[in-house]
Amino acid sequence: MKKYYITLVFGIIALNLQAQIDRTQIPKPGPAPQINLQEPQHFELKNGLKVLVVENHKLPRVSIQLLIDNPPILEGDKAGVSSLEASLLGNGSKTIPKDDFNEEVDFLGARIRFGSQSAFASSLSKYFPRILELMADAAINPNFTEVEFDKEKQKLLTALKAQEKDVSAIASRVQRALAYGASHPYGEFTTEETINNVSLLDVVQFYEDYFVPANAYLVIIGDVEFDSVQKLVEEHFTPWVKAVPPSFQFSRPSNAQYTQINFVDVPNAVQSEVSVESLVDLTMKNEDYLHVLMANRILGGGAQGRLFLNLREDKAYTYHSYSSIGNDKYAPATFKATAQVRNMVTDSTVVEILKELDKIIKEPVTDDELKDAKAKYVGNFVLALEKPETIARYALNIETEDLPKDYYKTYLERINAISKEDVQKAAQKYMTIDKARVVVTGKGSEVIENLEKITFNNKRVPVKYYDKYAKGSEKPNYEVSVPEGLTAQNVLEKYIEAIGGTDKLMGVESYSLRAEAEMQGMKLNLEVKKTSKNQFMQDLKVMGNSMSKQVVDGNKGYMVMQGQRKDLGEEELKKAKEESAPFPELNLLNTDVVLEGIEVIDGKKAYKIKISNEKTSFYDIETGLKVQDAVSIETQGQQMNTIFNYSDYQEVSGIKFPFLLKQTMGPQKFEFIVKEIKVNEGVSDVDFE
Amino acid sequence: MNLKPLYAILTFLTMAAMNAQEVPYEEYDLDNGLHVILHQDNRAPVVTTSVMYHVGAKDENPEKTGFAHFFEHLLFEGTKNIERGEWFKIVSSNGGQNNANTTQDRTYYYEVFPSNNLELGLWLESERLMHPIINKIGVDTQSEVVQEERRMRYDNAPYGRWREQMFISLFKKHPYRWQTIGSLEHLASASLDDFKNFNTKYYIPNNAVLVVAGDIDIDKTKKMIEDYFGPIPKGEDIQRSTFIEDPITSTIKTKYHDSNIQIPAIFMGYRTPAQTERDAYVLDMISTYLSDGKSSKLYKKLVDEKKKALQVFAFNGSQEDYGAYVVGALPVGETSLDDIKTEIDAEIVKLQSEPITEKDYQKLQNKFENLFVNSNSSVSGIANSLARYYMLYDDTSLINNEIDIYRTITREEITVVANKYLKPSQRVELEYLPQEATEN
Repeated sequence: MKKYYITLVFGIIALNLQAQIDRTQIPKPGPAPQINLQEPQHFELKNGLKVLVVENHKLPRVSIQLLIDNPPILEGDKAGVSSLEASLLGNGSKTIPKDDFNEEVDFLGARIRFGSQSAFASSLSKYFPRILELMADAAINPNFTEVEFDKEKQKLLTALKAQEKDVSAIASRVQRALAYGASHPYGEFTTEETINNVSLLDVVQFYEDYFVPANAYLVIIGDVEFDSVQKLVEEHFTPWVKAVPPSFQFSRPSNAQYTQINFVDVPNAVQSEVSVESLVDLTMKNEDYLHVLMANRILGGGAQGRLFLNLREDKAYTYHSYSSIGNDKYAPATFKATAQVRNMVTDSTVVEILKELDKIIKEPVTDDELKDAKAKYVGNFVLALEKPETIARYALNIETEDLPKDYYKTYLERINAISKEDVQKAAQKYMTIDKARVVVTGKGSEVIENLEKITFNNKRVPVKYYDKYAKGSEKPNYEVSVPEGLTAQNVLEKYIEAIGGTDKLMGVESYSLRAEAEMQGMKLNLEVKKTSKNQFMQDLKVMGNSMSKQVVDGNKGYMVMQGQRKDLGEEELKKAKEESAPFPELNLLNTDVVLEGIEVIDGKKAYKIKISNEKTSFYDIETGLKVQDAVSIETQGQQMNTIFNYSDYQEVSGIKFPFLLKQTMGPQKFEFIVKEIKVNEGVSDVDFE
Repeated sequence: MNLKPLYAILTFLTMAAMNAQEVPYEEYDLDNGLHVILHQDNRAPVVTTSVMYHVGAKDENPEKTGFAHFFEHLLFEGTKNIERGEWFKIVSSNGGQNNANTTQDRTYYYEVFPSNNLELGLWLESERLMHPIINKIGVDTQSEVVQEERRMRYDNAPYGRWREQMFISLFKKHPYRWQTIGSLEHLASASLDDFKNFNTKYYIPNNAVLVVAGDIDIDKTKKMIEDYFGPIPKGEDIQRSTFIEDPITSTIKTKYHDSNIQIPAIFMGYRTPAQTERDAYVLDMISTYLSDGKSSKLYKKLVDEKKKALQVFAFNGSQEDYGAYVVGALPVGETSLDDIKTEIDAEIVKLQSEPITEKDYQKLQNKFENLFVNSNSSVSGIANSLARYYMLYDDTSLINNEIDIYRTITREEITVVANKYLKPSQRVELEYLPQEATEN
């Protein structure tokens, strides 16, 4: 009896264990965790500085942040003055020399950094009083010197130069300049010229005008006590003289009049930066602010956004694609949908982004999309509570954005109340498909042709061209003109000279070459032998087995393809013989081949020579070396194009041979790496039997 | 005066702070060999679930590089119970965040959720380990995505390939000679079976550590872990090869041309010992001494005083088998790379000939204490550290004790280590140059 009872208990437990989890179902969340929104303590100094303190004793550390919430500033023909001011701040103070200052901050294991209208410091809490004092001193009594100014100016100029070819840097500059206009604070940019217009006096003036306490906030977070913070801040920041920054009005920038592509040519780009952008009048205070955040989230706010799912997961055009919408109480903010994509799919990307934009404006989002987007916002809100900075940020937003006091207390409620209609209305109000500016920064020679063919909603989307500084320009012309008087003969002579010279080449009676490539894990071995007696042999082996072999010996020749032998016909033999010479260019010297122009091959300019109806060769303008053969053969009405690229030239017996041979045939690509080249040895008549 | 009680309160607060710093954890193994580490911190309603697998680029076949990183992408494609494309959606529609990353040594996956979704996090990670779906459509899609990642991070990015170029020269035998992104050709030519075999070999409980950290109840969590991970069968023990590099005895000079840059750079790389070696910690200090902060030796001399460099950098990349200490700079204006090299060498020679000053030594100690305090600031950061110390250092307690190693390093030891590893004949000199120096 007892025994049965035990079995029964075990049975129940086993059953329980089985029933406990069902892997096929997504586990349900437990009861919602309690949300605790701590409020920062605050006080204000007589000079206008507002101070927020968040005590958090989890770790023995503290951070100090000084923010000055001034309206936008136009730097004009002295653009760069704010960067220079920022880098000159924090170099000690009127009473502490720069080296001593840096040494002390470093010694304490702390950090102090300055922006043009901000400062940030962090340290262990035991050093807080000293770090606060150093930061205040450096902020209020800056140590501006001519020596430091010259040095920072030089660094800024060098940094600017470093960015000259950086595709992302160019793209972001042009995107802003086109959206706002280059004479708006948000659209202007720094150039060598504007930096050279700035003097130390301008920097001092900028500091005196804008680094003032009227709109300043000091936020202190960490292992500190409010009372002692208040005492220390009063002591160190009271000397900051009360002042209000000058204020200017700017004309409001407006959107493009109609949807258009703005193209910026960056020849070294291997990816295009695509940005579909427009301006929005949006502040956090707007009633539909959270609504439009939801629309943006669904369109492109993350890895579940439509843009990501379409452009990455479905089409694999890009590593990621997102959209973003800003908010700004002083000027229009920007809405942007962006992707970095490979050159080939640039036009398709533009179309897909426009389609998604069109859809979110025209159609309501689905219930699931909205539910998921809300859950994400709720989750982010909860996760952010881990950081004490969050509490400070919320308090700061309420203050600077003029939000209701309970904005964050009611946040989750307001998120949950948003309807599909709210989202669509917000999308219609803040996003545009008729006045969108599509800024594409990329390699023109590979993308323009298709960009110009784009139509959207049955309308051609016009393409306008801009330079790297957002100035309107002509459509780039890739046909570079050949220097006057230069002939195909000159190019061929230069090539022959570059690889060793006529005498050397004429001395070659034979050469042999062995090369290897890899295809889907299999080894390909290529062997080529040539002599000056019209003998030619090429054997391609896959995993040791001959796949194709061609042999020419004087006036006869044959080929073997996968075991099938076939003698060469008259026409085929003639072509093969042209190729069989060790250096075919030697025989072309006295023919009427034509120099057709200059093209860019792998980023470098090369002369293009038409050798025959089927073959075109390219020779590097600078080095003279052959960089490419393009062969086009028509078989059964089909055009077959094969490209051979030559690089990594190395010398063998005084002659330069390419050691990297790339062959591209339709979708197939082989990279043959030459393992051995022998000149005038190891080749005999037997090889051509 | 009422000083005494105040003093008492202050001492108490300091104590509390010290205790708060200590990361409590407990660890155990499931029957299938899965190692579990739990860390409870109920101060915020947030939980992290993460799994680290002991597989990275260095475990790859030289003919099939890029697999480990590729898997990091592939294992989001779906499982027996999670349809393709649903993974990210499930996470975000439950208010969570997730990501993954791969290094030469290991692959790491994690989710952060509001704490009421702990079970969901465990389910997701157990699904990934138990029965991921590896099929053609997933492989094809991710293969294109990885290609774009390579273009973005390496080919289109200024200075994007310095690491790759440096490591090719630093390592001749060890798999550290290739980068985690691997070869696009290898990936393109890999078969579905190659991928399946890789999964069977490395994605097994006895090659993984699960960390659950944050707002949890220990007993309930253990039960859930057993439910979700217990039924996963143990895999075959992994046989790993060891690769011993020959010492570098004469300077290796190399060059690379990058079309995305205008200003050249010099990188000097030294091969250093495994990260668990005491010498590796000493090299961390040397790196900080030379280039961290405005008063560091190289910054002060090259950027500040002599104005020869736009930027100097030094980093000590620690890894399981070997590390690399790389120091370098971007010259200002007409300064030559050789000039910069001479200046850097002079500082290293100083370091090799006499102990650093007592003051500099104290500064280093302060810096490392600061780093240590900040390293445990978020629950997800703690989870990552716990997994790393267990898997790659074989000592979870380093999360609380690592600072002691730095504390015991002496000034003399720094001199000895600088002599042992930082000779010019032991290094790779990489000149990283603009593609067309004369254009514009």
